[in-house]
Amino acid sequence: MNDGDASDPGAGGTDTSGTTADSTDATDARTRLAAYRFADSFLPVGGNTVSYGLEQFVQSGAVADGDDLREVLESYLRRQVGPCETVAIRAAHAAADDLDAVRDVDETVRATTLAAEFRESATKAGRRLLEVEAETGGDPVVAAYEERVASGDAPGNYPVALGLVAARRGIDAGEACLVHAHSFLTDMLGAAQRLLSLGHVTAQRVLDDLAPVAAAVVAANEDRDIERMEAFAPLVDVHAMEHERADRRLFLS
Amino acid sequence: MATDEAHATGGSEAARDEDDESGETTAADVARSDEGWAAKNDENGVIFAHARDLPPAFEPYAEEPLPQVGVGSPGKTGELEATFAVGVDGTTDLVADYARVPYHLSGTLDHDVGRPDFASAYVQSPTGGVAQGDRNRMVVTAEADARAHVSTGSASKVLSMDANYGRVDATFVVGDGAHVEYVPEQTILHPNARYCGETAVTLGRDASAILTDVVVPGRLARDEAFDFERYYARTTVDGPGGRILSDTTHLAPGSGGTDPRRAGVLGDYAVLGTCYVVTTRDVDSTAMSDRLAERLTDGPARASATALPRDGGAFVRALGDRADDVREALDAAWDEASRALLDAPAPDQRKY
Repeated sequence: MNDGDASDPGAGGTDTSGTTADSTDATDARTRLAAYRFADSFLPVGGNTVSYGLEQFVQSGAVADGDDLREVLESYLRRQVGPCETVAIRAAHAAADDLDAVRDVDETVRATTLAAEFRESATKAGRRLLEVEAETGGDPVVAAYEERVASGDAPGNYPVALGLVAARRGIDAGEACLVHAHSFLTDMLGAAQRLLSLGHVTAQRVLDDLAPVAAAVVAANEDRDIERMEAFAPLVDVHAMEHERADRRLFLS
Repeated sequence: MATDEAHATGGSEAARDEDDESGETTAADVARSDEGWAAKNDENGVIFAHARDLPPAFEPYAEEPLPQVGVGSPGKTGELEATFAVGVDGTTDLVADYARVPYHLSGTLDHDVGRPDFASAYVQSPTGGVAQGDRNRMVVTAEADARAHVSTGSASKVLSMDANYGRVDATFVVGDGAHVEYVPEQTILHPNARYCGETAVTLGRDASAILTDVVVPGRLARDEAFDFERYYARTTVDGPGGRILSDTTHLAPGSGGTDPRRAGVLGDYAVLGTCYVVTTRDVDSTAMSDRLAERLTDGPARASATALPRDGGAFVRALGDRADDVREALDAAWDEASRALLDAPAPDQRKY
């Protein structure tokens, strides 16, 4: 992204096609604003109801402070967000003109997501995103997929929904992957703040520390084939399984 | 098909692949060539593990020539086909088998007293383990309503390597109403080992399968752990309604961010165990996973269970410091799954 574009249109006084350039800039700005909206925890997709097993890591004592948190979140990025979710975002983004192909990606994510609570969390969030976008964007393609998900024809996993709506909003696939990595981390850090006595500054530091990892995993999985989608984190699996049967639960997953 | 200790054709893997053009191969060679197996794949909608492409991480290894006998030479391409079917008395028999070294199959055993309708077969190997350049493939078929248990006689060692890699593929075709179990001994990864394994299960209607896997990262008793180079194992399970699961275990110690000894991955545990209880029968997967989890709680390994997608059964992960602890957890999961699916306990395995 070039942050200079919006602030100095025609600054050099050599503008020869002002109207076209302005409308391109305006479209570009709207696309970016849509991306910020998808990255924002204000987006009503239930990000504050999930912890993807983190609650159990805290309950079991495996995560007790900001350092533990950074370690385990790095594993989520490297093992789940990168090789599974960003692969799904890119594949759904590329398939956005063919909803049967989008559903195939969705089925692959379902088959790869083995912890039942993770499937529940991911499909709830995906359905909400599709509903919100079908209402606000007025996009018939998103509305059509939302109907297929609502009718049970497709699972509606969040990364697939995000890939689809990002493509329809003109957001670049790599940008959508970064948006997802960021919102995943902020959801998890939000959960951690409620589970641990974690200060706001510590949470921001962990988020900032993990930015290079998020960027690296998005880049590292850019060319991963959907056939090679994987999510290998056995201790995350075990914690998610234990969470299903935990006595006290603040979070859906 | 009668038991046939086939004579190896020799030559490199590339030569095998081009056999169709050379016109010098026998009908049996063609039937067992990659093309022949792939054709079977198309006809029946069965997915064959050995028809799969190599994972990208193994492509550089594949280009490394072998200092010893080449890929595809005698003893380097193990093949095993075993077909089980229900006989007139209602019990399952091994009706066809074909083994090519290093695989060996010596009939079936009748020790499964709790499940007398089962046929049990132990796959044996006369070699020291999986060596560089080995390409082994196994296809186990259970025809309608058959009950088959397949295991190995001893641990599979993946030997030290300095070039290329070893690959072991397993395909399970489970017919309508049939049940197949594959409960092998553990896989032990020696220093610098490179292992690629593909497993594909195709379930018919009202069918089920139980697969277990224990990966030991070295000869732990001699303080050897995580000295192997790469372990990749992917399992897929497909039913008439579509794919139930796709699970990949990918361990590459020492290479920065991919090292498995991390929080959330293996942590401080050494041994990884997995059990897939997959089914297209009319069972409540959540209830079954709860039964399995109950058996695993407070056991010797850190282990639990969850319900699979498409109400397709249950999935167990187990982590431990010792192979025996993980083995014990998976045996408990296997026993509980057998009770849940077939209303009969799993047998004691008599191998010692």
